Amino acid sequence: MERKFKRDFSELKNIVAMTEAVFHDMGLQPGLRNVVDLATEELFVNMVTYNTESNEDILIEMVPHALGLEVRLTDYDVERFDPTSAATVDVNAPLDDRIPGGLGLYLVMKMVDSIHYEYRNRQSKITFIVDRK
Amino acid sequence: MFEIELADDGSVVVEGRLDAAQAVKAQTFLDQVEGQCILDMTKLEYISSAGLGVLLKTHKRLMGVGSGIKLINVSHHIHDIFRYSGFDKLFEIIPAGN
Repeated sequence: MERKFKRDFSELKNIVAMTEAVFHDMGLQPGLRNVVDLATEELFVNMVTYNTESNEDILIEMVPHALGLEVRLTDYDVERFDPTSAATVDVNAPLDDRIPGGLGLYLVMKMVDSIHYEYRNRQSKITFIVDRK
Repeated sequence: MFEIELADDGSVVVEGRLDAAQAVKAQTFLDQVEGQCILDMTKLEYISSAGLGVLLKTHKRLMGVGSGIKLINVSHHIHDIFRYSGFDKLFEIIPAGN
């Protein structure tokens, strides 16, 4: 299944609806939903927030994978930004040193089973896999 | 869907999905809270980093005046998010069922 979404946080409810439909159609275990929802939201929000010069919609594809589910997000007419090389977060820092922000990509890296970034012809594509195990 | 409201016992009840689209609503509500805040997460289905940011900002503000947020009835999968984020070291958390 694939769909394009406007560059707006209000699209998150429509992304969730798409994910729900994919899980239903593919018969995936509900326990995987939280990881898929979180990783998809964080990557989508990152594209919307930081790729501010593009007016193109963001493509999300969800396809079966031998291990579970493969999700691809493609952003068009953007500068290169590799989320897999984003700065890490010190999750052991005391409260005074913690600031809101930066946790999203950290959580994605922590929770998905694999992630891959491609940049070609001003298109950013991020692919992640969530293992049904 | 996301709702946040004050319960009769003084706790703050959150329900639904606290994502980036709902973070402003949550922050606006929590900015009005003074003193110790007990946040009942019984009906919270999902939280993303945007929601974590709201909790962190509010907790820091309240800790600055000697109180803070206590998170109660936290589901297993949301507790996992707190653990990955290191929030289990910053907040008092009572898991669901305790």
